[in-house]
Amino acid sequence: MMKPGDTILRMEGIVKTFQAVRALDGVDFDLRAGEIHALVGENGAGKSTLMNVLAGRFADYGGRIALFGRDVRLTNPRQALALGIGVIYQELSVLGNLTVGENILLGHEPGGLVPGTLDRRALRARAQGILDELAFDLSVDEPVAPLSHAKQCLVEIAHAIRKDVRLLVFDEPTASLGADDVERLFEVIRGLKARGIGIVYISHRLAELPLIADRVTVLRDGKMVGTRPMADCRISDLSHMMLGRPLTEMFPPKRNTPGETILKVEGLSRPGMFHDITFELRAGEILGIAGLVGSGRTEIARAVFGAERAAGRCTLEGRVFARRSPRRSMAHGIGMMQEDRKRDGIITGSSVALNVGASVLDRLSAMGVFLDPRRIRANARRMIDRLGIRPPDPARAIQTLSGGNQQKVVLGRWLSRDPKVLILDEPTQGIDVGTKAQMYRLMMDLAAAGKGIILISSEFFELVNLADRILVIRDGRIVREMPGPGTDVDALFAACVRKGDS
Amino acid sequence: MTRDLGAPKSAKRGWRPSFQTVQALSVVGLLAAICIVASVRSATFFSWQNLVYNVLTNAAYLGIIACGMTLVMVAGGFDLSVGSTTTVCSVAAVLTLQAMAGQPVWLAIAVAVAVTTATGVMLGAVNGTSVAYVGVNPFVTTLSTMLIFRGIGLILAHGGQTLSVPLAFKSVVGRIYWGKVSLFGVAEYQVTIPILIFVGVFAVSLYLLHLTRFGHYVYAVGGNENASWLAGINTSLVKAATYAICGVTCALAAVIYTGMSNTAQASSYGGLELVVIASVIVGGTPLGGGSGGLFFTLIGLLLLSVIENLLPQFGVQEEYRNIVRGLIILIVVAVDVLVRGSGKKARRT
Repeated sequence: MMKPGDTILRMEGIVKTFQAVRALDGVDFDLRAGEIHALVGENGAGKSTLMNVLAGRFADYGGRIALFGRDVRLTNPRQALALGIGVIYQELSVLGNLTVGENILLGHEPGGLVPGTLDRRALRARAQGILDELAFDLSVDEPVAPLSHAKQCLVEIAHAIRKDVRLLVFDEPTASLGADDVERLFEVIRGLKARGIGIVYISHRLAELPLIADRVTVLRDGKMVGTRPMADCRISDLSHMMLGRPLTEMFPPKRNTPGETILKVEGLSRPGMFHDITFELRAGEILGIAGLVGSGRTEIARAVFGAERAAGRCTLEGRVFARRSPRRSMAHGIGMMQEDRKRDGIITGSSVALNVGASVLDRLSAMGVFLDPRRIRANARRMIDRLGIRPPDPARAIQTLSGGNQQKVVLGRWLSRDPKVLILDEPTQGIDVGTKAQMYRLMMDLAAAGKGIILISSEFFELVNLADRILVIRDGRIVREMPGPGTDVDALFAACVRKGDS
Repeated sequence: MTRDLGAPKSAKRGWRPSFQTVQALSVVGLLAAICIVASVRSATFFSWQNLVYNVLTNAAYLGIIACGMTLVMVAGGFDLSVGSTTTVCSVAAVLTLQAMAGQPVWLAIAVAVAVTTATGVMLGAVNGTSVAYVGVNPFVTTLSTMLIFRGIGLILAHGGQTLSVPLAFKSVVGRIYWGKVSLFGVAEYQVTIPILIFVGVFAVSLYLLHLTRFGHYVYAVGGNENASWLAGINTSLVKAATYAICGVTCALAAVIYTGMSNTAQASSYGGLELVVIASVIVGGTPLGGGSGGLFFTLIGLLLLSVIENLLPQFGVQEEYRNIVRGLIILIVVAVDVLVRGSGKKARRT
């Protein structure tokens, strides 16, 4: 049996590559029983990948893992589960078609008397027991699909916590929780720690770490930066370690000046998603939209762009813009970079040139019909130079580029159309620090050139450093408007989660 | 407190939480409406003779395969090869009976059923291995095996000859299809043996899908394969098993069909897969899986079978019938998509 303080996990020189991209490059990590070890880093730094290795998700990693003093090679999730590893995933892995209870005990269903059968009554009772122990306000018989994101998160947590679990990984569990739920979650985590379970706590929200972590390890661009006891660390040290430079150097000086109103949104509503959204965007302005995951911020932006149906009125440059659709938005000069690059952004299998040109093929074709390879290549070259896309090869297949460069290609697609309004939904998600700084400069350049930019981001420091104004969205409503410059990140976060101050 | 609030909900939901009830109810309604109209307009429709001997007996062997198909489709799969699998199985059945000529008849039939079932499992396992372990898309896999199995049937039948059951066995084998059993000893209420076999297969499938861990995992894999895998479920085995079970149901259908015709032909059963898949889809099990179930398939099958029975009775010419069949499937699914608002306009998942 392990005593508190014994090392239960040692990972050494872990390497993992995806196609052309080296996501983890010789990372060391260790964990003791009864310890909460925070793993921090920017999006794309490799935190989740490291924990996915531990969860047995990849069979092709390099390096050594010793668990409870024994060398192991983790090649599938079943094996990791059997060794007592539990993971609460960031992208929820609950099953919408099953009930809460069925989800909690998925893979561990109690059997009946006849082998192979399922004892549904025992399943309900066991699941209820777990819910009672955690004091989660859920009913075992509820179907999961209609639950809120936060509640589905609780289901996922309840699923990972089993009797025999000895090592738990929380992958950004607070990303979509309100303040009350975060507080409750921390209590749960401390309770698990007291039972001698080793806990890995992944986050990029530094402010919460002093409340919960014993030690902290920082990753940057797939490499290990260092491990420190939390007590010896200041938040500013951590952010410096994460970014590789002081935070202030990341952002360009503000040099845009908001002018005339270019886009007016009035009473935009979609039942169950967002209500009565009214705001204005001016030319040369960066308008930030802040809110938790699931607050409706993405849906609102998609509705303005026409990718989602909604009641309400949009006025573009003084003219009512009716029957919105992505096609018509494009024609009228509104562009939107989607949050999910893989699903809604890149066209896998096509070249960089075709990806950059996808929205302007009409202009790059003879008589608007016959593709003109020379014009397509020229357009791609222009964007490669302007955005610094690496490698600078228009013929390259898009999926072989790094996340940051794929993102630049998608941005290049919209810039090829030269839109008046550009909506950016989490534009810096999953890209490296250098590319982020570049993205920030580009946004500022575009705003300075008179474009209207709507910026949605979970990284609140991006919003306060780039935006002129910030709309705070909570439960599908605009609850506040804050100025960008001078607003404190913590104040903005508080506005996003607090109840009852609207 | 929460528990008390939860209990009646679950009682009301019955077998499992289902998001298909709209479609199921509309199909039941449509079926009832058609039956009522048919009973009024047609003298023969609402008779034991027509319903049991024509509609249900005909539906029975399709229904047996539809049970297997439902498992495959709830798990998110698809099987185009069931027609060809049934062909190979029926050829195997007759060949075995031929080889057993001269043996006691019940022994011969028992061996033939065993060989046929084994053949079905094997062919299903080929599909399952390709889909679950190699990772070839179900549509591509079963499109290919549909052709391959059809070819195997041709070879086994010596290039498409009609194989006959040995004369000595004919009357006994024929009873598998033509035999009748009285219900509760009442002579005028007789059911056919295929219906009884179907009821048995349906009951076993129901048990498998709803009362075993395997069945639970079939829904889990269809709901979200990746999440199921992460929860430690052997998703490949679950998927492969559904195809093997589907193969078994094909074998049972082949046994019945052999009883009916006393022959096996490599050219039979073309198009059978489409009727079976249509029953499952009309019932409300979606392509992609995760929900639906056997009762849904049953009502889908009944709807299609009743329509099939009524088309000639209502004087719909042969050349128009496919249009009617196609329209029914399209309309039922389209209505469901529109009612639930999951159509093109609500693209966000």
